[in-house]
Amino acid sequence: MTTPPTKEGTPDVPAQVFEKFLQALENTSASAELVARLRKALVEDRTFTERALKAAVLGEESLP
Amino acid sequence: MIRVDSITIKEFRGIRDLTLDFKEKNFAICGPNGTGKSGVVDALEFALTGNVSRLSGEGRGDISLRRHGPHVDKRDDPDKARVTVKVTILSLGKTVTVERNLKTPAVAHVTPSDAAVLEVLQQVKSHPEIVLSRRELIRYVLATPGKRAEEVQALLHLDQVEQVRVGLQKIANSCENQLVPLGTASTQARDNLLRALEMSELTREKVLSAANAQRTILGLSPLTDLTEATSLKDGMATPEPAKPQRIPKAQALADIRAAREALAEIASVPTRTRVAEVAADLNALASDPAVAASVKRETFYTTGMDLIEAEACPFCDTPWDFGELKKHIQAKIDHLEEISRKRTAAETKIAPLIAALRKVQAAMNTLVGYASLTTPVACEAARDYSANCGTAAQRLTALLPLAETITVLANVPIVPQAVLDDVGRLEKVVAALPEPTKQDAAREWLTVAQERLEVWRDAMRKQKAAKEQAERTRQISDIYATTSDTVLAGIYAAVEKDFASLYGFVNRDDEDKFKAQLIPSRGKLGFDVDFYGRGFFPPGAYHSEGHQDSMGLCLYLALMRHLQGNGFTFAVLDDVLMSVDAGHRREVCTLLKREFPNMQFIMTTHDPIWLRHMRTEALTGTRSAVHFRRWNVDDGPTRWDERDVWTEMDRHLKGNDVRAAAALLRNYLEYTSAELCHRLRAPVEFRGDAQYQLGELLPAAIAHMRKLYARAKAAANSWNQKEAIEQLAASESKFAMLAETSNAEQWQVNAAVHFNSWDNLGKEDFKPVVNAFRELLGGFTCSDCNEYLRVMPDRETLESLRCDCGKTNINLRKKGA
Repeated sequence: MTTPPTKEGTPDVPAQVFEKFLQALENTSASAELVARLRKALVEDRTFTERALKAAVLGEESLP
Repeated sequence: MIRVDSITIKEFRGIRDLTLDFKEKNFAICGPNGTGKSGVVDALEFALTGNVSRLSGEGRGDISLRRHGPHVDKRDDPDKARVTVKVTILSLGKTVTVERNLKTPAVAHVTPSDAAVLEVLQQVKSHPEIVLSRRELIRYVLATPGKRAEEVQALLHLDQVEQVRVGLQKIANSCENQLVPLGTASTQARDNLLRALEMSELTREKVLSAANAQRTILGLSPLTDLTEATSLKDGMATPEPAKPQRIPKAQALADIRAAREALAEIASVPTRTRVAEVAADLNALASDPAVAASVKRETFYTTGMDLIEAEACPFCDTPWDFGELKKHIQAKIDHLEEISRKRTAAETKIAPLIAALRKVQAAMNTLVGYASLTTPVACEAARDYSANCGTAAQRLTALLPLAETITVLANVPIVPQAVLDDVGRLEKVVAALPEPTKQDAAREWLTVAQERLEVWRDAMRKQKAAKEQAERTRQISDIYATTSDTVLAGIYAAVEKDFASLYGFVNRDDEDKFKAQLIPSRGKLGFDVDFYGRGFFPPGAYHSEGHQDSMGLCLYLALMRHLQGNGFTFAVLDDVLMSVDAGHRREVCTLLKREFPNMQFIMTTHDPIWLRHMRTEALTGTRSAVHFRRWNVDDGPTRWDERDVWTEMDRHLKGNDVRAAAALLRNYLEYTSAELCHRLRAPVEFRGDAQYQLGELLPAAIAHMRKLYARAKAAANSWNQKEAIEQLAASESKFAMLAETSNAEQWQVNAAVHFNSWDNLGKEDFKPVVNAFRELLGGFTCSDCNEYLRVMPDRETLESLRCDCGKTNINLRKKGA
């Protein structure tokens, strides 16, 4: 009757989105450090505050 | 993920002490309103998540889990309010006990509690959506797109996805916002450098040529290249700082000229014209009362649009025309969007004025610096004017409130005479300075040029870094938006297809070609459904409430199945199909069985017919249900089972309360007689309202039982089973005696022998009546398992009369039949 969804389901949609995002970012000229920082924030620490994201995106840089 | 074996509830909500044995199977909880069904649902949710959604969150006012979760008599003793569930974790093959109490609801006492177990339980906890009530179900279907998006987002935990999207977008925006002031700063630094170099165009060759001309005067070797590290004064001895520090006359005069030009520009006709244009635009905007709070109101109206659900104003209860109101508010939103466009246009026109103010501010600061090196010139007016220009630039950048901006704007082209006087005095002082020697002039030229070159280089570096940063952050934000949109679109497409398929199955009698559309758009989730091929409409537009209920259930199931896949093994459906008719409920049973064979559903209903459907469709086993009969605050729910009922009747009689005992017996016989007629397939005169009287049911059940014995004897005779015939005759005779003793069959033929007359009996008179009916009901049961016998199959030709344990199995088919 129906087409069942993926066997394992999508237990964590945000994690799926974050993983795809990081994969897409890896395929650009983005530095490995940037991807690693974002992975730590989004996937490992799961901190989504603007402050945490800014630290991940800008790293040591600050806004000029 | 999990299935629930059993639950024990103590002093929780309306329940004093209750244990239900689910045996990891589908289970139904039936009972009239207010008998404790939802208490079981709350207890399940509490044990698994530490929360009860009905007691927390938006709109719950002063109600709290800790204060109002315990039974009302234990409200000061939350430690006594406990729920224990025994669950099986399928992936680990382990059975685990989870216990929580309301003193520390967040703490789950888990046994065994190894890391793998805790991880699974954490996953369960993070999905409180395992409990679905009708209220939530309707929210999926009838909510406005914005609200629905929130519901679905909560289910899919998309709030985190959205939070990251907004965060990345803000970072990109703030990086881009830095580019304009940095661009202005680099232009100013460049102009200052050009002035120091006394040239109009900044090229490598010209800079080298001009610098080398000065270096030759000082006997320094010419520079051959100009790189980022090149110093124009390379090799020049650093002189002792002059006291007082000398003003570089030529540069100072050039800077003063530049300052005059900047002042002239800001006071020029083109500037005045621009100021007048911008002022007219701002005045026009200011005349619109909606502008002042435009930002807040746009948000308010947009939110309001999503909240228009009821048929009347939630504040004053004035009825409103839904369509007209929406049109009215949309017009307001459109108007505010027009204001927003005008504001953007004004900001574009203002930008050159802000740049001119910044230029004047920088020029004044330079002159004030020179003035500090001279004793007679104070330049106080220039200092103040510089500060005022900075403040004015900030005000114009902020734009709102408009009245203040318009006032500041009017002063932009006005240069105070005192400032011009300061500039004139400084110019005279500088012009009067003695001319430096050629060498000093060359040294000053190289020193100032190098200083400004460094400032310009720094400004360019910052601008370049900011540009790269802005491009990078925008790229990150865009990639994230694209990726999340793609992932979500994929999820919605899959859910949409699954939902349509599930709903189409339930309604395959007339909507087998049903289709649906989930349309995500800017934080909203539109949901349109096909209406008999006439187009796509919101679910509430044409479909009945019953259809909407089953849509809600199907959407929930599709979402959960997609979300948890094979991990979707447990769900609680709390009275979710109350508006669905019997035929479609039957289809829902089939759907749940076929599509979710590995799921354990705990279902509540107030409708005994629905309970029976679940059994006859084999969604639940005959023992996988509890039927609550009543509830009181002292005892909590009591069930329709033998132990409860007869014990309670005995208690009433001991207390000489014949009326209560009689009422209970009457109710129990009504309940049981319906069950017996169903199980035995006893013919009863059909009633469209399903309101059968005891006098219609129990005599029918007794008469049919007699017929079944007769049929069984005839069948045994055809098979020549003498021993069976004798046993059946004995059972039949015993049953006839029980029926006669109870006098129940008389009711149908003699209405005078009515059970209401029991109320008039004394305690000792009524005891035999109770015993007679107890014995009679025992005649319908298996002697081994005490369960009521049932005819198999439940449709078409009768084959056997049997019990669930298999001990009693009476053949009803004759040889050759």
